[in-house]
Amino acid sequence: MILAILTAVMVVSLIAAALAGVLVVSEHYLNDYGRCRITINDERELEVEGGRDLLSLLTSEKIFIPSACGGRSTCGLCKLKVLEGAGPLLPTEEPFLDEDERKSNVRLSCQVKVRQDLKIEIPKELFAIREYTCKCAEITDLTNDIKQFRFELVEPQTMDYVPGQYIQLRTPVYEKSSEEVYRAYSIASDPAQKNIIDLIIRLVPGGICTTYCFEYLKVGDEVKMNGPYGEFRLSETDAPMVFIAGGSGMAPIKCMLHHMKNTQNKRKAVYYFGANHPRQLFHLDLMKELEKNLPDFKFVPVLSEPDNGDNSKYEKGLVTDAVRKGLKNASKSEAYLCGSPGMIEASIKVLRELGMDEKNIFYDKFE
Amino acid sequence: MKESPQNNKLEALLRSSKLVAGGFMGSDNRGVLEIIDADKIELSRLGFTCQQLASRMRQITDAAKTGLETWVQIDDNLEAKTEEARGFLPCPWPHAGRFVKRVTIIRRINTSETIQWSDLNIHLIGGHGFFQGRGSNFRIEPAILIKMIF
Repeated sequence: MILAILTAVMVVSLIAAALAGVLVVSEHYLNDYGRCRITINDERELEVEGGRDLLSLLTSEKIFIPSACGGRSTCGLCKLKVLEGAGPLLPTEEPFLDEDERKSNVRLSCQVKVRQDLKIEIPKELFAIREYTCKCAEITDLTNDIKQFRFELVEPQTMDYVPGQYIQLRTPVYEKSSEEVYRAYSIASDPAQKNIIDLIIRLVPGGICTTYCFEYLKVGDEVKMNGPYGEFRLSETDAPMVFIAGGSGMAPIKCMLHHMKNTQNKRKAVYYFGANHPRQLFHLDLMKELEKNLPDFKFVPVLSEPDNGDNSKYEKGLVTDAVRKGLKNASKSEAYLCGSPGMIEASIKVLRELGMDEKNIFYDKFE
Repeated sequence: MKESPQNNKLEALLRSSKLVAGGFMGSDNRGVLEIIDADKIELSRLGFTCQQLASRMRQITDAAKTGLETWVQIDDNLEAKTEEARGFLPCPWPHAGRFVKRVTIIRRINTSETIQWSDLNIHLIGGHGFFQGRGSNFRIEPAILIKMIF
């Protein structure tokens, strides 16, 4: 009796093992899509091994599509047109695509699996994006949770970018992350120093890239980044400008101010920088220097919780309170904002109340 | 714990660093369902449900958001602020859902005790009863959370 049971169990186990083996072998062959051809803008053709997502295949061919989430379908930045061969739209893509985009075959490249020949369209400017090998040259503490990282470009040695643009920094595999990820950071450097890229980064608890930068990255380490990306930039008008950005949101504004100094820009500009305590203010000396060197620039630090020291030189309250108090009428001005969605939405509301046309409000939202 | 392929996949994702540095399980050797069950028993002993906690956490985060990253008084003895970073975090469970990378820090005014949670935390507690593994960045002990927010 026992022997019969044992034999039955063995037979069932053997059948299950055999079926599992068949599954593994068939998966190997069924998932082999062979070589696939990707035609880009009807001009260029790539031969790639099928089976991977389009974003990572393009990245491995040194064609860099913006992506802040590293291909997890959470940022919605890696859009491009897939005219043929993409398969049906996935539920993971739907929240990021409006009706017009769906009609014109826009897809999230991180969600499109390359299983057959594809025909795609990529904006021409993305071909100018390159991968850079850099050396970490300097790490400066700005506040308790914000650091400035200076990278020297090694190969290529210079980057042409427009002040306001961003790069994607690669985080390698390390103790707390089992795979490479890319995260977007605005360029904070003086554009005159073409072989230097400064980034201002705030530590995000549990953040893969910021944990790497704060706890593992050392001066002298090699890092990779690609870019430049983004449409956030100064307009070419003479309108007075209002900058609003706190914390690490200072990065693109700092870059723009350097550029204004380098180009002897005479536009009137005021920068409202919000923080809780005086110890969360940084680059004050640089801002003073820019006040001296720019024809009409004023830096306005705003504190919500002044300490017991001399706070007479600071505005008090929320940054939006200071904007309301300082601007009175913004109908002829332009605004440049960088920061959290909450701060940007609150700033837009105040600027509109002060008469600013929404088309003159430019922003780089942390999304 | 049931060893279903879905659970194994979820457990692997929660233990990996694919979504957050160090993963969601920390140094906890228990399985995800064990953690959820243990916290559920603890909550029941304390007389609360996950939904009650998530609802109060959401209420505090929404109030704190208005402070634009400065402290906002929530009640006589509680203040909170939010900090936001670029990007979103998806829920590790297999459904659509992504959450702004926002951390809410709350502080008892009389003792200066603080705890923090992310928007994803609120969803994980309210939607999945998951307080994360011990030793992970955003593990919140139910008893401490209740003491702080109610």
